[in-house]
Amino acid sequence: MDFPALGLTIRLACVTTLVLLVVATPLAAWISSGRGWGRRVVQAVVALPLVLPPTVLGFYLLVGLGPSTAVGRVVVAVLGHPLAFTFSGLVVGSVVYSLPFAVQPLVAGFAGVDWGLVETARVLGGSPWVVFRRVVMPLSRMSFLMAAVLTFAHTVGEFGVVLMVGGDIPGVTRTLSISIFDQVQEANYSGANRTAIWLVMLSFVALLVVYARGGLRRGAEVG
Amino acid sequence: MHHRLAVRGDVGALRLDVALEMNAAWTVLFGASGCGKTSVLRAMGGVLPGAVVSFARPGLGGGWVELGGKAPDCRGLGYAPQSGALFPHLSVRENVGFAYSVCADPPQEATIVDEALSLFRLHALCERMPRELSGGERQRVNLARAFATPNACLLMLDEPFAGLDRGLRDELLPGMVEWVRGRGVPVVSVTHDVDEAMLLGAEVVRMESGKVVAQGAVGVVLAEERVRMLRNLG
Repeated sequence: MDFPALGLTIRLACVTTLVLLVVATPLAAWISSGRGWGRRVVQAVVALPLVLPPTVLGFYLLVGLGPSTAVGRVVVAVLGHPLAFTFSGLVVGSVVYSLPFAVQPLVAGFAGVDWGLVETARVLGGSPWVVFRRVVMPLSRMSFLMAAVLTFAHTVGEFGVVLMVGGDIPGVTRTLSISIFDQVQEANYSGANRTAIWLVMLSFVALLVVYARGGLRRGAEVG
Repeated sequence: MHHRLAVRGDVGALRLDVALEMNAAWTVLFGASGCGKTSVLRAMGGVLPGAVVSFARPGLGGGWVELGGKAPDCRGLGYAPQSGALFPHLSVRENVGFAYSVCADPPQEATIVDEALSLFRLHALCERMPRELSGGERQRVNLARAFATPNACLLMLDEPFAGLDRGLRDELLPGMVEWVRGRGVPVVSVTHDVDEAMLLGAEVVRMESGKVVAQGAVGVVLAEERVRMLRNLG
């Protein structure tokens, strides 16, 4: 069992989930707050990772963050090294790749909040931020849970983007999915099986959290 | 005159073109369903998209303070919407205290919340959640939430007695009138019920198809309606 890869995968999934909740919340609030072409274009861009092959995304990230581009040069100037083949690079890649898994549940959650409640809260004296914090966020808490769990589970299972951006450096960028790939390449099927079981368990527990919460909520409403 | 309003714009299929001056302590917008009464309240609240709104109240120096360009939370309004939609994740006390809790400049003592709970006889229900309330109880919380708005310059009540039986309405009304008179806060409410408008004895603004067709004392503006209602009663 590749425990360093397990630790790295969990760390990557946790950091990606936290970063994405911070990034996706205002983005989803903006998308769900109105209509218009601007919002639709941004929504389509956010959803691109759902349909693009991970290798395509990984390739553009690798090139885009490399020293030959302006963004890459800024990164090198700030960090002192390029993002490719580092843990930070993995986080950037994971954030982009899992963006729709965080944004889409939040958009659905925010759009499902009764607009009449928001209007009433505004007229009763709540500023936009206060109304978002006191009314919209509590009423879409299941969407936050869904976004967090899906992001976490999706990051745990990443392969193509991680391999393209991070390579396969033990202890630095080798995640569980890459470790399985390596073990299969070496015909170490029993090792691959032990590692794969960890992935299955992590994903199952994450999804169980969502469904258990949904069941509890329905029970509370019926009662 | 305590407020003046001009609204123009299309709301769905309705063309709203309203100009009115509110003089009385209690003004009733009266009209059939769909004539634009609720839209007028939403325009005053700053939450009616697509309408050109001029809404003003007298300032301290004698001029007028234009509210039309201000954000909804900066207009000094208490509001009980028609749907009576309460914040489902907040208890009755938290719903009633919502305006106080978000007020940027609240009075030091939160007595207004307890007084509103008493006025609408909600103390026994304080810790309940909205899903545990009957329709009439929800409407009382809706009204209490509007009345408990600190520093309100106008209360807007949309169908305030919908869902309340007449006996309870008649019991609550004197206290409500006393509350707004005592605090000097004018009220504008919406109804399509002649009996309710008569009971309030207020100034009535009669609306039809998005326009004001009459304004004045209730006995004058709704005289024909009253005769028709009495005739129908036999």
